[in-house]
Amino acid sequence: MTRDENEKTLAAEYVLGLLEGEDKTEAERRLTSDAAFARDVETWRTRFMAFDDATELRPASDALWRKIEAAIQAPARTPATQSAWSRLWGNIGVLRAATLAASFAAILFAVGLGVAIRKAREQPVMVAVLMDGTRPGAVVHAFADGRVVLVPLTTINVPEGRVLEVWTLPSRERGPVSVGLMSQARTLQLNLKDLTAPRVDQLFEITLEPAGGSPIGRPTGPVLYKGTTSTAL
Amino acid sequence: MATNSHDSATEAQIAAALARCAAGERAALKVIYDIEAARMVGVARRMLRRQDLAEEAVQDAFMRIWRAARSFDPQRGGPRTWLYAILRNCALTILRDESRFTADEENAEDAAPIAESAMARLPEASALRRCLESLDAQRRTVVVLAYVHGLSHGELAGKLGVPLGTVKSWVRRSLISLQECMG
Repeated sequence: MTRDENEKTLAAEYVLGLLEGEDKTEAERRLTSDAAFARDVETWRTRFMAFDDATELRPASDALWRKIEAAIQAPARTPATQSAWSRLWGNIGVLRAATLAASFAAILFAVGLGVAIRKAREQPVMVAVLMDGTRPGAVVHAFADGRVVLVPLTTINVPEGRVLEVWTLPSRERGPVSVGLMSQARTLQLNLKDLTAPRVDQLFEITLEPAGGSPIGRPTGPVLYKGTTSTAL
Repeated sequence: MATNSHDSATEAQIAAALARCAAGERAALKVIYDIEAARMVGVARRMLRRQDLAEEAVQDAFMRIWRAARSFDPQRGGPRTWLYAILRNCALTILRDESRFTADEENAEDAAPIAESAMARLPEASALRRCLESLDAQRRTVVVLAYVHGLSHGELAGKLGVPLGTVKSWVRRSLISLQECMG
């Protein structure tokens, strides 16, 4: 068996649930620290999922959702925060071993996580998920105290000499208003200036603009991500 | 990597709902539940054979999905493979808990027909089906039963009446052939 065959077989055995004890623990560890292994696992999951998609549907009992709903009510916040912390510590472990680039990504993630943990304590009143058509790229949270914060969910490729500009459309009459500028995807407090707090269905978008931002005060570059606000429950 | 029968719109809907779960929006979890619960119960029941245990696995899975939504990274994989990996772990945890789960006495049942019927459910055009069909019947049986019913190496050895080492080597060879065929 070649090394590559061995790696791919190991990933498949992990997906099948055939690894036990230390082998399983090691595979779980590599899933977060070894990108090639994680890709192999994802490939096998996708392949075998054909079986799940071909499996007969079984309606859940009415009680099932009620049980889930009861379990995720307010008290579940505490474990959520704890698990976020333990993930952060997990990441610090990864950080030591990772390459410089990976460390940098981990730091970005940890910073985002720090924000996410604080967010867990204070519920946004309004949320917008900014998509590129198929995948979410960022979330905009509007809080009761008037702060509006953009949290990226993915890295965004920014060519040399360009920046990411965040826009909102408070009304058709007013047109798009620039609310933030950044050289790379990061958590960003948006500056809504004189605008009122976002209302339901208010558009937010991220465009690619020349360094310094759009010279004409409205979007000129391609729209990378966009989405509209809805009320957070 | 959305190469399953579900359209990319469903994938996007679930990805967006996961992002909203990460922001603490409980209604978003219900969106995922409404789309996937019946399939998830079906998958869990396929492995656990009992409706009550299947629902327990799905309940555990939704708790984990809610708590881990922030760690879902669309760069690393699709939202549905993420959901079903969590479900599979929950179902396997129940299945492997021997104190709770007494293996039923279906060992007498012939393994091959069970695997064949699972394969027959796959779409004709499925690459997985085509590649499995190209394998030796006994060798593909171990892989199919491991995935579809969550059997362990030991259970496979018992069911097929062959030594543990033989099962392990059949699994590996089947996986290498599958990798070559699907890679």
